[in-house]
Amino acid sequence: MKVELRTDVLTNNNLSADFNRDLFTKTNTLVVNLMSSPGAGKTTTLCETIRRLSSEFKIAVIEGDLATSQDADRIRETGAQAVQINTHGGCHLDARMIASVLPEFDFSEVDILFIENVGNLVCPSGYDLGQTHKVAVLSVPEGNDKIPKYPTMFMRTELVLLNKIDILPFVDFDIEMAKKDLEALNANSSIISLSARSGEGFDTWIQWIKDAYNACQKQ
Amino acid sequence: MHEMALMGDILQIVWEDAQRQGFSKVTKVELTVGKLSQAMPEALEMAFSIYKEQYNHIFDQSAEIKFDIEEAVACCIECNTTYIPDRKITICPGCGMPTGNLIKGETFQVKSYEGS
Repeated sequence: MKVELRTDVLTNNNLSADFNRDLFTKTNTLVVNLMSSPGAGKTTTLCETIRRLSSEFKIAVIEGDLATSQDADRIRETGAQAVQINTHGGCHLDARMIASVLPEFDFSEVDILFIENVGNLVCPSGYDLGQTHKVAVLSVPEGNDKIPKYPTMFMRTELVLLNKIDILPFVDFDIEMAKKDLEALNANSSIISLSARSGEGFDTWIQWIKDAYNACQKQ
Repeated sequence: MHEMALMGDILQIVWEDAQRQGFSKVTKVELTVGKLSQAMPEALEMAFSIYKEQYNHIFDQSAEIKFDIEEAVACCIECNTTYIPDRKITICPGCGMPTGNLIKGETFQVKSYEGS
């Protein structure tokens, strides 16, 4: 017997994402889903971000990696609570994985939750986790071609952190071209140039987070 | 790239419904895959054959997967030209502006299945 379904393949993920979003909204938690290639500097950027925000905000982190708890260990050194998810080969985090670790947090004690996705410029962009904002990290040694070559990631994020600008003199990266390429793909996104090592550009990023936090308190 | 994970979701959707219907076996799954949905039918087919062997209590070993490929269609918001885009961001062949809105081509659904 034939049964017509016409059910979206991501239905189960999206139900979990809605569940996560409800919890985050009810508890006034700002949730940022950070995505990038492996090695773009997500963890280093996060550690520096937490250091600059921790006197004002209570911060928690969910770390997604195929294996090891190395990133969660680095985050814990900053004093923030971190929970590691190992995907055991999975190329992205999905909303059910996030839902499964939410009981580990006391959300009355969390202002901002950062989710560091698995390093991959392709698959993570397709999964709604229930986050407030999606942010991409791109580093200058990766080259200008990454924005046009991985359009889905840059179409589905609201901000690009252009990292490692301290080594800009040693690599061929054109920031103006990156801005034009991004604008052609997604007029609602923008670039903040920064260096997680030198701290340059962080004031703008920190202000972006504070504005986003204030915006989600009014809901 | 993540077709194994996607197929896991697909089979969960199918099996939950099959149980509701009182079926004990699934013999066919049909998907609607948009040309721009980023899902690869070849990789999905491979994932299906792996799951089929592992879940032989659910799937008949002759079970097959079929794909209904949805062509992409875009409509330009400047001049209303309707055309077939080959990418998500395309230049309108009518007016040359990159203002095509995708109307079709991103669908990724379990269309139907057969069971008994």
